[in-house]
Amino acid sequence: MTIKTERTHRFNELAEAYSADLYRYAMWICGNDALAKDLVQETFLRAWRALDNLKDVAAAKSWLITILRREYARTFERKVPAFTDIEKVTIEDNDELKPDERTERDLLRKGILKLDSKYRDPLLLQVVFGHSCAEISEQLGISKSAVMTQLFRAREKLKTQLQKDGVTGNVHELF
Amino acid sequence: MSMNFSEFKKLMGADPLNRDAETLRARHSSPEFEAVATEAEAFEEKLQAALHLNPPHDLLSQIKDISQQPVRQRSWIPLALAASLLVFVGAAGLVWKQSHQWDSVEAYVADHYSHDGSTVVAKAGENLPDQEIAEILARLDARADEQLSSIITFIKFCPTPDGRGAHMVVSTDQGPMTIIYMPKTQATDGEVVRFDQMHASLVNLEHGSAAVIGNQSQNVNSMVVMVRDALKTGFVDA
Repeated sequence: MTIKTERTHRFNELAEAYSADLYRYAMWICGNDALAKDLVQETFLRAWRALDNLKDVAAAKSWLITILRREYARTFERKVPAFTDIEKVTIEDNDELKPDERTERDLLRKGILKLDSKYRDPLLLQVVFGHSCAEISEQLGISKSAVMTQLFRAREKLKTQLQKDGVTGNVHELF
Repeated sequence: MSMNFSEFKKLMGADPLNRDAETLRARHSSPEFEAVATEAEAFEEKLQAALHLNPPHDLLSQIKDISQQPVRQRSWIPLALAASLLVFVGAAGLVWKQSHQWDSVEAYVADHYSHDGSTVVAKAGENLPDQEIAEILARLDARADEQLSSIITFIKFCPTPDGRGAHMVVSTDQGPMTIIYMPKTQATDGEVVRFDQMHASLVNLEHGSAAVIGNQSQNVNSMVVMVRDALKTGFVDA
């Protein structure tokens, strides 16, 4: 295999392994489909250019997340995206749900979007990427105990929101 | 020392899929602990399902396209040679240079279209929602007017000689034509590039340039006029 082919092969493996999760992550942090796609493409464009710097394959996921978060920070400084396309992106998978399940999932999704980023960020890293608390701590540059607290509070806020809105059944108020 | 109930509840709230020995021991220590763990797992299942979004069907292929572009690589020069070169180039102080991706805009256009032009034309379907077109072009500080938007049947980001651009397919009465918008690249206005039985006409815009590409049987002039008038560049559509 030539060096170029091998490089392309490595890149394609990363794309296959992480592009979907990076897209999900991007969607949940920015809430905009076009911006999320753009962020993921930009992330991989930068990754392609810097691929030779990635020596440890095990670090690839965190490396890509870091690139995406930096790119998002840069983008956000330039332009505030129009929120939010989550509903558009999730219509298909809701179709097979029963009405009450659909309502609950919608409430949960809106609750996630409403979470402060200090709670949402660790939660996304844990649930979308399967990061451990130690990995989240390293990724976000905060202590492991702070990560645990934020994860706990994130879930508590979602549960509270779900119970509150579930009682009133007022899903539309969240849109 | 074993976990108390409060500690266990907090742990399940923070890390409900934790399966280390101490957590499992605590979980199995009483029905009360077991119930908390079961409830946490059920919520986690809902959370995972809620966070799961389907990525766009063409995202992976568009990312893989990135690997088709040449890599800007540093050409390292041995230090001893670099030292003498530094003297030679003086204030510029260049110890490395980035290789040119393409020698010219003309070479880029031909290379780009040869790479995926016909595939993209084949992918193009019906007219796209204006919003989708607007969102992509806005990211490049550009906008298509209503007339141009109404005939765009495909749009995606693409590499250009100077950063990211847009690759579009438009539907015309002569059949589909391709437009490549290069936001930061200047071209020789009116120059025609011929390659692989295709021809491209270059248009300089207020910011950047575009190439309008058609096959030999197509006259791209009317599309060149439209692009010049209808592709507004150099602003941010907030």
